[in-house]
Amino acid sequence: MAGVLVVDDDPFIRKLIVTTLEDVARQTPVEAGDGEEAVLVNQQQSPEIVFLDLNMPRMGGLEACRQMRAQGKSQPTIVVLTAFPGDENERAAEEAGADLFLTKPFSPLELLNLVTDIGRA
Amino acid sequence: MGKSFIRTDTVPAREGGMSGVQVRELRDELERERAEGRERERQLERYASDLSDIFKAERRRSDQLRDSYVATVRALTNAVEARDAYTGKHTERVAAYGLELARRISPALAADPQTEFGFLLHDVGKVAIPDEVLHKAGDLTAAEEALMRRHPEIGQEMVSHVDFLDAASLTVRHHHERWDGGGYPDGLAEREIPLAARIFAVGDALDAMTTDRPYRPGVTFADARAKIDAGAGTQWDPAVVEVLDRIPNELLERLRAEIG
Repeated sequence: MAGVLVVDDDPFIRKLIVTTLEDVARQTPVEAGDGEEAVLVNQQQSPEIVFLDLNMPRMGGLEACRQMRAQGKSQPTIVVLTAFPGDENERAAEEAGADLFLTKPFSPLELLNLVTDIGRA
Repeated sequence: MGKSFIRTDTVPAREGGMSGVQVRELRDELERERAEGRERERQLERYASDLSDIFKAERRRSDQLRDSYVATVRALTNAVEARDAYTGKHTERVAAYGLELARRISPALAADPQTEFGFLLHDVGKVAIPDEVLHKAGDLTAAEEALMRRHPEIGQEMVSHVDFLDAASLTVRHHHERWDGGGYPDGLAEREIPLAARIFAVGDALDAMTTDRPYRPGVTFADARAKIDAGAGTQWDPAVVEVLDRIPNELLERLRAEIG
């Protein structure tokens, strides 16, 4: 498995996801602090799962999502972090190529179940 | 770092300090940081509440696990005793006397469930002894005697494969050792014998002496105490016997009555 990429400008949220996956799912995710960085890491490392925040400086999640899909080389499962399930941000993210959504605040169990489900699919 | 929003060196300062644009940008940034803080707080609370659920579930599971350990040990104990009809509730009484002694000698030892498990399971190896030997009315032949004396080793072998009985298995192996080294199977002496086994030996003797047998009636606690005192330093650990001497007869009688 190629691994997990966690993209969020808030180091707190990144750390939370990374630690949960490290301790329980035995993953060692890589991190990115904004969309530009995410697109670069996606190209270099071809992760299997990308957790992607929408609201970030430099390049936001929507644009990063479009660019990662355009890279075409790898097709990760892109999980967009949102605040409200079913809002216009989710619709826009879906158009940009997002596969799944994880609503903040999420529980560690939701996060782990999501990763397990993706691994099985 | 991203671009800085505020460039005070190039924007001319207005009266009162910052321009309207600057103030708005600063306000936006502040608002964003506040929102981020709220998001973190909610996220942390979510994790914390999950953690408390996990702890509760874990505690339930560990309670269930402990209950199933106790049930397993009781089932084994009862199965052993079922073959040895005349001893009645010998095992339970020995465990009660042993725990009373252990509490006064080492509270930590008494609190470890394996101490009681060892007391209860001491004779588990007897399941491997054939009925005609175990229930023989007359004297045993040398071969039968030798077989009978193997029950501590057999018992230890049986329970040593069970993780939660590793300490208990030492009591099972060494419950027939003597303080002077004349016991079996290993002829250990004095403090070489595990403490729980030394305590057990005193409780075992106390119950054997005070229980009626088909061939003799049981003696009183006072008489049994005198006999055990006489064997302190030879058959039994003198320190354990001393502790027994401080337990009043009434308490021993109450323990026996509670078991019935």
